[in-house]
Amino acid sequence: MQFANSGEPAVVRCSLRSFFLRCVPCGLALSGCGSYGPPAGSTRQAQAIHGLWGVLLWTGIAVGIIVYALILWSVLRYRNRSDATPPPQFTGNPPLEITWTVIPLLIVGVLFFLTYRVERYVQDVSPHPAVTVNVTAFRWSWRFLYQGSGKAIAGTPDQPPQLVLPVGQTVRVIVTSQDVVHSFYVPEFLFKRDAIPGVKNAFDLDIAKPGVYRGECAEFCGLSHARMLFTVKAVPAAAFASWMQSR
Amino acid sequence: MNGTVAEAVRPPRKAQSADFVAWLVTTDHKRIGVLYMCTSFAFFLIAGILALAIRAQLAAPGLSVVGPHAFNELFTLHGTAMIFLFVAPFGLGLANYLVPLQVGAADMAFPRVNALSYWLFVAGGLTVFSGAATNGGAADAGWFAYAPLSDIRNGSGAGMDLWIVGLLMVSAASIMTGINLLATSLLYRAPGMTMWRLPVFTWEMIVTSILILMAFPPLATALAMVFVDRRLGGHFFDAAHGGNPILYQHLFWFFGHPEVYIMILPFFGVVSETIPVFSRKPVFGYVGLVLSALAIGGLSVGVWAHHMFATGAVTNSFFSAVSFLIAVPTGVKFFNWIGTMWRGQLTFPTPMLFSIGFLLNFLIGGITGVIMASPPVDFHIEDTYFIVAHLHYVLMGGSVFAIFAAIYFWFPKVFGFRLGETLGKWSFWMMLPGFNLTFFPMHVLGLWGMPRRVVTYPALAGWAHLNLLATAGSVLLALGVLLTVVNVWLSSRRPTPAGDDPWGGYSLEWVTTSPPPEHNYEWIPAIRSERPAYDMRQTAAKAP
Repeated sequence: MQFANSGEPAVVRCSLRSFFLRCVPCGLALSGCGSYGPPAGSTRQAQAIHGLWGVLLWTGIAVGIIVYALILWSVLRYRNRSDATPPPQFTGNPPLEITWTVIPLLIVGVLFFLTYRVERYVQDVSPHPAVTVNVTAFRWSWRFLYQGSGKAIAGTPDQPPQLVLPVGQTVRVIVTSQDVVHSFYVPEFLFKRDAIPGVKNAFDLDIAKPGVYRGECAEFCGLSHARMLFTVKAVPAAAFASWMQSR
Repeated sequence: MNGTVAEAVRPPRKAQSADFVAWLVTTDHKRIGVLYMCTSFAFFLIAGILALAIRAQLAAPGLSVVGPHAFNELFTLHGTAMIFLFVAPFGLGLANYLVPLQVGAADMAFPRVNALSYWLFVAGGLTVFSGAATNGGAADAGWFAYAPLSDIRNGSGAGMDLWIVGLLMVSAASIMTGINLLATSLLYRAPGMTMWRLPVFTWEMIVTSILILMAFPPLATALAMVFVDRRLGGHFFDAAHGGNPILYQHLFWFFGHPEVYIMILPFFGVVSETIPVFSRKPVFGYVGLVLSALAIGGLSVGVWAHHMFATGAVTNSFFSAVSFLIAVPTGVKFFNWIGTMWRGQLTFPTPMLFSIGFLLNFLIGGITGVIMASPPVDFHIEDTYFIVAHLHYVLMGGSVFAIFAAIYFWFPKVFGFRLGETLGKWSFWMMLPGFNLTFFPMHVLGLWGMPRRVVTYPALAGWAHLNLLATAGSVLLALGVLLTVVNVWLSSRRPTPAGDDPWGGYSLEWVTTSPPPEHNYEWIPAIRSERPAYDMRQTAAKAP
């Protein structure tokens, strides 16, 4: 392999300057609008996920802008201007190539570290949840059974069930399926967990904001997959306790 | 140039004839390559029409253009055809045509096996689609056919069995082609064509072939096990009888993720051929490109369970780490392509336009891929339209744009005449915005929580607008594709002779005639670098 000729570094500096001047402001303008992103998150776990999403998104946008700028610069600057002399026939530049291997390695290393921390937090299950709900998915609706109380709610595709949960307390959800693979998904919680026959999948939710949240099946499960909906109603702990006492 | 043993057992060559029967019984790698590419392109057009039907159904909330069952058949066949019958086989067809030419061989190592591969692929594809003629309709469990949804006890009929049998045939065809390409590129190289002088496309096909050999046997196993569960009373994936549905997902994705690279590496190879030629420079960092392909191949068999983060059944951290890591060699390739353009003299005929379109689209798919390597973020976006957007940026904006670059680049070599530049450029300038209008809004829909594979969706704020935008974009994209089909037809009515080397190509295939003779080369120039055709022109120019 031959080395690049010595003019290389100057040209790199030049394009970096143009990228900071021209492309960064455009990128900021395009992605500044929050409503085109995921929901802010209504559980403590979701808020951690949302923070991680922000880091990944902005890292991605920064890398994207740099690479786009380099591509567009090459296309505009080096388009053929009926130059009779052929361009320099350099075939590589090992120091430069090592650099652009090591820098991405460092970037993904940091991203993995941040991911690992958030994942530990999201996947953590409390030894003493305040409420435990057994969720059974079936074609094509859901059954919610509150452990230790006998309270049960079941839905149909036409009458989606409502899962009532307390705000500010740790809720353990254990999902399974009685037929095919489904997935318990609440977009406002930025979370889903597959409901798999023969498997009991447990996770914790710490709901931070009261409200009614849309829930859906996220794993394709056949004919009425699109109608396999539910809602989560998050109420203050006192209201939840009295709801549990009712009927 | 060829092995003498292979020469001895091969039947004597007959004169090339355009006879229909001659095409049916051909063992010539070039004809098989052309058949492979044309057949897979026909599947592309069919699968594209299915996609337009999907977009019509989703143009507004609450539509019933098709019913839920037909919708499930539509996206199952769309995904199956695009993945198994178009993108991967087109790459194999292109390799069939190019690899023997690029290494300076007269044919593939096993010409008859090659013909068998092609006909098995055709039969497999037709078998998959024949399900549509059965009473229960075509397969409707998605291209991934998760057990136990794909079990007969959960409703799918004979169409599902035909899908399984069809894909078993396609798997066998792919495995045989993988062996054939590997043997050809390792053992049938012309004198002087060392491994470090192979064109980057051939290198990418070597890695692709190795991945085929690793990935397709587990797929065939998974398919056979589903068949046993369905028809022979098995319980591999039936939890009620001690089976395990997660096992299917492991087997399927152990195939499924290397398959993603089987569908992209050949097209990394394509742009590694086109960009240097249209930059009038050698490829930048040849060794880096080859090593990054090998690194991608190695890492790609360790990322499969990132499709399973939401199952709660896998060690997310390991698969997350490897999935982050695989972005690095892909990034290296990007910088090498930019380095190739750097300080070159770029011209922009249609193949170069599609190659740059590939760079612009694939970059977005690559970045969203890194975001999805993070399990907590994946808990939100898994199985939403964000994934649909990502995979189409990789496969449609990436692979398919590179396929169009390959069509415009090598068409003159294959048929001896050029495709029209005007229609080609129109095709590109419709496909690029059409593609981005179709798939960019899907990122946002996914982040809002729109799940995949739903026949309809609620009229929540903004959902209708973005879906309508995607449908409008898909029409523009389809018209762009149609222009290239029209271009092929019009250009063949008034063929403009291309000459042997219309682009100033670098690799060996540009030395021979267009189209090449049946045995490929009357003579072969001295091979002293990875650019033998370029070296030959330089020598000729210096000669007194």
